[in-house]
Amino acid sequence: MAVYSHGTIAARDLAGAGAASAHAASVSRLLWRWGGEKVLWLVLAIGVILLAIVPLIYTIDAAFYRETRTGLAPDRSLTAVINVYFGAEYLGYLASALLLATIVTAASLVVGVAMALLMARTDLPAKNTLEMLIIMPLYLSPFTGLIAWITLGSEKTGFVNVAIRAVLGRVGLDPGPLINIWNYSGVAWVMFLFFCPFAYLFTVGNLRAMDSSLEEAARTSGATALQAITRVTIPMCTPAILASGILIFVLAAEMYTIPGIIGSTVGFTTLPWRIYQDATVFPVHAAHAAAGGTMLLWVTIFGVWLQRRITRRAERYVTVTGKGFRGRPLSLGYWKPLALVFIGLYILCADVLPFGALLLSSFMKYSAPMITADIFTTNHYVQIFTFQNIRDAIWNTIYLAVLAGAICVLVGLVISFMEVRRASFATRLIAFLGVLPVAVPGLVYGLGLIWAYIQTPLYGTVWVLLLAYVAKFLPYGILVSRSAIIQVHPDLEEGARMSGASGLTTLRAITMPLLKPTLIAILFFVMLMSIKELSASLLLYTQDSQVLSVLTWHFMDAGNYQFAAAIGMIQTLMMVALVLVTRWIFRVRLENALAKS
Amino acid sequence: MRAVTKSFHAIAALVLSLSVCTGAMAQPTPGPNDEAQLYELAKKEGKVVWYESAPLEPMQAIALAFEKKYPGIKVEVLRIVGIQQYQRFMQEVQAKRHNVDVLHISDQPSMMTLIEEGHIADWKVPSHDRYPESFRLKTHAYANYSTDNAIIYNVNKVSPEEVKLLESDWKAVLDPRFKGRFAVTSMKCGACYAAIHMFMDPKYKDRYGLEFLKQVAAQKPAVYSEVLVGLDRVIAGEHDFTYWTWEGIALTKWQQGAPIRWLHPKPTPAFGNSWQAVSKYAPHPNAARLFQNWSMSEEGSLAIQQLYGSATTMSGLADQRSVTKESWYKPMADAYNVDFKRWDRDYHKDMDAWIKILRESR
Repeated sequence: MAVYSHGTIAARDLAGAGAASAHAASVSRLLWRWGGEKVLWLVLAIGVILLAIVPLIYTIDAAFYRETRTGLAPDRSLTAVINVYFGAEYLGYLASALLLATIVTAASLVVGVAMALLMARTDLPAKNTLEMLIIMPLYLSPFTGLIAWITLGSEKTGFVNVAIRAVLGRVGLDPGPLINIWNYSGVAWVMFLFFCPFAYLFTVGNLRAMDSSLEEAARTSGATALQAITRVTIPMCTPAILASGILIFVLAAEMYTIPGIIGSTVGFTTLPWRIYQDATVFPVHAAHAAAGGTMLLWVTIFGVWLQRRITRRAERYVTVTGKGFRGRPLSLGYWKPLALVFIGLYILCADVLPFGALLLSSFMKYSAPMITADIFTTNHYVQIFTFQNIRDAIWNTIYLAVLAGAICVLVGLVISFMEVRRASFATRLIAFLGVLPVAVPGLVYGLGLIWAYIQTPLYGTVWVLLLAYVAKFLPYGILVSRSAIIQVHPDLEEGARMSGASGLTTLRAITMPLLKPTLIAILFFVMLMSIKELSASLLLYTQDSQVLSVLTWHFMDAGNYQFAAAIGMIQTLMMVALVLVTRWIFRVRLENALAKS
Repeated sequence: MRAVTKSFHAIAALVLSLSVCTGAMAQPTPGPNDEAQLYELAKKEGKVVWYESAPLEPMQAIALAFEKKYPGIKVEVLRIVGIQQYQRFMQEVQAKRHNVDVLHISDQPSMMTLIEEGHIADWKVPSHDRYPESFRLKTHAYANYSTDNAIIYNVNKVSPEEVKLLESDWKAVLDPRFKGRFAVTSMKCGACYAAIHMFMDPKYKDRYGLEFLKQVAAQKPAVYSEVLVGLDRVIAGEHDFTYWTWEGIALTKWQQGAPIRWLHPKPTPAFGNSWQAVSKYAPHPNAARLFQNWSMSEEGSLAIQQLYGSATTMSGLADQRSVTKESWYKPMADAYNVDFKRWDRDYHKDMDAWIKILRESR
């Protein structure tokens, strides 16, 4: 292009200029015939295949090699696949993971949906504040949440037991330890607190959009408030509940940190923890890790497929009955204090206790049952701002979160738009392929990313992390924007097209403004997930691309939990700040935007 | 925009470093004792990339000590633990993406494999002869600090009489008074395995062996999948002591003020857990060699003692760690040298047996 702009075309011979002009003309004819939107889609489709599918292929391929003690041998073998798919050991680990995911999903749905019902359908006071607090656990990474609960819930020295003992000891009572995190229930409890906001967020919007006249009809027919909710409201919301349940199940089934650290202490191992050990502990079982990853892939593909079917039904449901909804809330009457206690207890366990414990730990020199003057220190925070590594990591984390969020919004929107509005085998296929990385544990997918990108100039730069985040979180962009596009009637876009607007102009001027809350919700969500992302970052980072989640992990791995808690606090503050800044810029509330999407 | 700028800088730096490297590689590397010439060439390279496996904080402090001694050379520290460092290095070698100058791998057999496969530079440091044979691998890699197993106890939980008892013999843990009071780990790591390696030594077959491990498990210890989580819970007072961790980590926590001390029952497994060497493909070959020389020098060893807290392996160098002045502190008296050939052969089998014993004892 520089050659043309500097006018040196005159130096070229006429034949060359003629050929160039003919080529340009044929490209412009193709563009005209295809339209800008199709060209853009084609570019993005190629990008999705390179970004999401190539590493996935590397990952699956790795399962079919013979193993050495440190990696993969050059020759092929089915041993790992046979061991993983037909051996009792790995099937047992899978069963453990699925059982745990089932328990966590059930508990999260019961509490999350109950809170959503109270917030969306009743006259509970202070809803804005409560809603912010209900989704607060989203700002905590599972790893830092785990540190918090270890300090809170240990049998003899946990803050909770020590505090209860101190209070009851004054009146001569010794109740013994009330909670103990180091058992199966402890694993399920910490995971439940972590996933509960997902159940809330993905059902509350649906509940808000429901026509209250149906409940009123039930009430006038003699039903109590509880009967109206259980027999009318919840059945109407079933598709949304099931869809959020599947999402939680999939994410819980692939989580390795909490089940690994606590679970193995009480003698149970889940498949993701075994995959983590196979991939990272000498002697390495790289093919087994990859095969285990594919096993989770099938589970998750089934979940995603089911979710798409359910979401499709839900959309139909809302379209038919959602018009003219009235939002008159159910009066809780005497039940209001009880409802507030219920939500208050959740906020105590999910926010106050873990964030309080994390804050206390971050000011302690070492772990202790309580903070006293002699172990109080502000040194961790001083060090955070003097370590060059940490300052770089903070900046890298922010850039990556914002860029990954923006890219996932735009690419997800275009891919979904083409899938919904220009439906064809190709557009549906690309939308399906783009969603697949959600189905692979980050650790295994990270290995595929290394193999895919190590030969490119991107390896070793911060950009390879950006690619990893986009590939990993693009599925959220595609899935969420898809359901939102379906809810916009195509007449609006067709009107613009008839007035002479191109496909891209229509997308920019009509569709995007209509979808603004959803797009901002995706931006928020991907930013939060990027800030917390650990598995792939751990495998791909170099000295020039450190991020906060990796640094937190390093301090945890080295046993410096108090320093890790301080970084965890910074990470949480960063997420809250990003949410506030984005809310200020776009004038949209995260909790509402996410719920609506 | 900062990321874009950084990337532009990275590309510019890459081009620059390539030209510097080419220039540096064109000249023969000075001999190990020609420090002045090595420093001159290292300054032109400007940095050294160090993959290390120990806790980040003390290693960054050690890197700073080097930078202070040799201005103009920056040490970029990247913590990659366990086998991942070996894997990352080999992936980079296979892809010809040479990023690292100096490796610091926490597994002797992995380092030996790299040397045998020709990936490590033959670089005999000037202090080579001051390292006992068990802490050097040919003229390629050195372990400048040792990992020695210790029982770490909470001073508020274990009485002086119990300390004496535990100190007397590894078997003292079987005393009924210790039932349910200590923590063990099922984690697979070098320092976690070293004591098992000793217990399974054929020469101790009658004294320890699998039967002893079963007796330990029958004492109903708390089992942690992460060894340092277990130690953290001992510091907090959840359990009274860890049944073997290692001195270096205890010292770090003790320096922070944690209410712990440690003891070494006899014999004490002590071995080179972290092996440092220069990559044959180091993009900054002179800076890498200068850093290796300094790390293995008296000055580097003292930095390890003071900033990391581990006992160093260089002969003729006094242990100057502050803990040695404590009245309760007793240095290791009877070292058990690990047999790396048996280690390499039996590691997986022994660890699996230990994990199975722990599982069955629940």
